[in-house]
Amino acid sequence: MNPATKQILVIGGGISGLSAAVDLARLGLAVILVEHSASLGGHAAHLSCKAADRCVACGACMVEEKIREADTHDAVQIFLNTRIEKIDRHNRFDVTLNQNGQCRHVSVDAVLLATGFTPFHPVNKPYGYGRFENVMTNLELDQMMRRNGAIKRPSDDEFPGNMAFIQCVGSRDSSLGHLWCSKICCGAALRMARCIQHRQPEVKATFFYIDVQNFGKNFQTYYADAQQKVQLIRSIPADVLKTADDRLKLSYFDPDTHAYQESVFDMVILSIGLMPSESTRDLAAMLNIDMAGYSFEQKSALLRPPDGVFIAGTALEPMGIAESTLSAGKAAGDIFHYLKNHDTDIR
Amino acid sequence: MTTPEPVSINRLNPDQFKHWPCDQDHCLTCALCSSTCPVSGIDGFDPRKIIRMISLGLQTELVESRWPWICTMCGKCEHVCPMSIHIPDIMRGIRSLRDRNQVPGILHKGLEAALKSGNNLGLPQEDFVFILEEVAEEIAQEPGFEGFSVSVDKEGANILTTIHNKLVNTHTEDLKHWWKIFYAAGEDWTIPAENWEGTNWGMFTGDDAAMKVMAGRIAENMARLKAKNLLWPE
Repeated sequence: MNPATKQILVIGGGISGLSAAVDLARLGLAVILVEHSASLGGHAAHLSCKAADRCVACGACMVEEKIREADTHDAVQIFLNTRIEKIDRHNRFDVTLNQNGQCRHVSVDAVLLATGFTPFHPVNKPYGYGRFENVMTNLELDQMMRRNGAIKRPSDDEFPGNMAFIQCVGSRDSSLGHLWCSKICCGAALRMARCIQHRQPEVKATFFYIDVQNFGKNFQTYYADAQQKVQLIRSIPADVLKTADDRLKLSYFDPDTHAYQESVFDMVILSIGLMPSESTRDLAAMLNIDMAGYSFEQKSALLRPPDGVFIAGTALEPMGIAESTLSAGKAAGDIFHYLKNHDTDIR
Repeated sequence: MTTPEPVSINRLNPDQFKHWPCDQDHCLTCALCSSTCPVSGIDGFDPRKIIRMISLGLQTELVESRWPWICTMCGKCEHVCPMSIHIPDIMRGIRSLRDRNQVPGILHKGLEAALKSGNNLGLPQEDFVFILEEVAEEIAQEPGFEGFSVSVDKEGANILTTIHNKLVNTHTEDLKHWWKIFYAAGEDWTIPAENWEGTNWGMFTGDDAAMKVMAGRIAENMARLKAKNLLWPE
């Protein structure tokens, strides 16, 4: 195989798509990277660095690095604001790209779906999201920290004195059909709470959880620290109400005192779940993958995709930035081996 | 029970309640049930812990516990449960396992009276009708309600309504509000003279047979009086 004659279509310009594009280019393959929005980096590009007194390996800074690498590599062609119109499978894949109404045809040897996730929209949960300005999602909190370098209450621009983090909003919920753990939220919320406390030492943080999901090799290090500095309550609150002085009252059962409790907070952060994205469904359908009943726990169709089709990152299941880059690296390796063993050269 | 005692592993019997169709083993112990419960914390009452005890098959502890009897069966827990566990059914199930003589007195006696007399108070029919007519007369003296009357045992009414026993005992004033609404709306309504009891303490005590008798009597009233719609506020 002459890698230089091979071309790969990577769909999705988030952390997985970017990583895979860079890895494939390093293997000598030509890459077409397609992103439907106007910028690269996906959800991860909005996340804040969560370092407290030192780096906690959240991975947020990897995104910029990957964008720069993909952008500067000669073998990676990037198409922003571009959707996949059509995919025809012959020996290769004939793909129609639509960039702002302009159609373009490309022929590729393999397709990588890196179509990511959709964040859960918590408007129907009893936490006042969309009604009370100081109830925010964890993604919005990250954006605020990234943009402003500090956390302030959206309603009055004041620094909060205390903050509540509610876990598993939209995850592990059979009434929504979401049985999966979203995996990244426990670590992200605890890191973020400590990051905020490092910059704004007056902030008291309370973390309402079911069980702390321990993912990532350095978890114990900062979990021990969080146990000291963050109030951890093993109970999910039932309601959030606004008080007369524009604060937020949470009601919950306190497992330590065996009592029904009401506590008042300046801000409430909802750790929203990750859901499969519509793009994954649509593109898989274009590739003749049967997506009936697909979800993060019913993904058998995606685990055995047709020849030449590969999937990486949160299109497969919830994962963090570091794991997404590993997933992308594995997909890049799989693609390279596939091309070595399958002759897709034009004859 | 507020201080958890270690339970010997030999006492656990996870198969004990496996046949209950309540999905108790799906519990993630998130505590939303306990957080939303209007009576959690009373004597340490923790619905989450009850579900775990059911899952572990701690039958003796559950049957002897006061906790299942603190529950008001309001159903908020089931509404918020992310795993759709049938928590009020579980509470009834536990109550049903208690010896009937050990059922809390007021419920036990009330249900006995209801099965015998048709209502939890054991109120004779003539006293019941007398109280209703008294209240109706008081309403008729208010401006705008001249000629108001209560129709008992009327055939073919649009609405047949049951009565909560406290409304003909300590809370007779509370009858007036909704009767006035009926009057203003020109509603065609009636109250059965016998078996009018709307509360079903067979439900609260986990006694399926008694629950069926009480519900069956309301169905009989509907058929006997050929009422079109049933209003069963309890």
